[in-house]
Amino acid sequence: MSYLTIVTGLLGLISAFVFFYFLKFKASAKQTQRKDRIRWSKFIPYKNETPVGDSEKESDDAKFKDN
Amino acid sequence: MSKHHALDRFGRSGNPVIRSAAFQERVSGNEEKMSLEGAVNKTGILLFLVMIAAAVSWNYQGPLMTLVSSLGMFVAFVSGIMTFGFYFFFVGWLVEPRPHNAPRTAPVYAIGMGFFIGLISQQAESLYPGIVIQAVSLTFFVAASLLLAYKTGVIKPNQNFLLMVFAATMGIFLTYLANLIYFAVTGNNFFVLTDNGTMGIVISLFIIGIAALNLVLDFDIIEQADEQGAPKYMEWFGAMALVATLIWLYIEILRLLMKLRGR
Repeated sequence: MSYLTIVTGLLGLISAFVFFYFLKFKASAKQTQRKDRIRWSKFIPYKNETPVGDSEKESDDAKFKDN
Repeated sequence: MSKHHALDRFGRSGNPVIRSAAFQERVSGNEEKMSLEGAVNKTGILLFLVMIAAAVSWNYQGPLMTLVSSLGMFVAFVSGIMTFGFYFFFVGWLVEPRPHNAPRTAPVYAIGMGFFIGLISQQAESLYPGIVIQAVSLTFFVAASLLLAYKTGVIKPNQNFLLMVFAATMGIFLTYLANLIYFAVTGNNFFVLTDNGTMGIVISLFIIGIAALNLVLDFDIIEQADEQGAPKYMEWFGAMALVATLIWLYIEILRLLMKLRGR
């Protein structure tokens, strides 16, 4: 085994440790408190998004009370 | 709204407690939520499965294992489509994403890709000894560097970033697809993909760059799913996305190292 392979192997071990260790931590506020974040609506059910059916029911209620 | 007000009224509950947002919150609060730690554990489990399958494939080379590896890759591809869906430019979603399938499809994907990786790794190692350790190490080095850049806010993915990475990824996918068809017809590969000259190496570096940027998108999905208190299956989904990108990155780094060694 060459010297280069051993050095790269050690680098890989340290990197794997860093990767699994820091993956557990939440990202900084600089990352999470941005307004231009990607919305992964296709994959993640967002808390502040109500289903279309529910909003329609709400508008029906408003009409019902008026009657 | 129909004229039958009573039906409209009794068709749904008028009880303000049941209809309130607080009740909805309580119901969803009973469901088990995902956590970053869970996603990390699942990533570890999937990488372990990849390693086990790759070790089997590495040690038992032969026509049967070549067939198993090809089948493994096909099964992994189908599992990927069943989970992430399939989007095509100007057409939209041909297959809708189904993240709730991830707890079942992710292990299948990991094992399938493990067989394939074991086969190509063994072939690369027999040509260039030590290349697999270098490729694995560089893959984790790139992943760890980008993770730190993401967590600290150095890289801030937004909609434009997503569009750019997605377009480039689709471009690479279509190039590989065209190459596959070309190979099936002529028995040769596109010269730029296999060339170990400057052009081939620049293209390999570009593909590695795009694969690495896909990791940032995976980190963002996992982070946002945790913030939003997404269901438990999102741990498997995030882990599967991450492992899929890591495998792609590993294959591209392996190809680059083979080109560099073959000069």
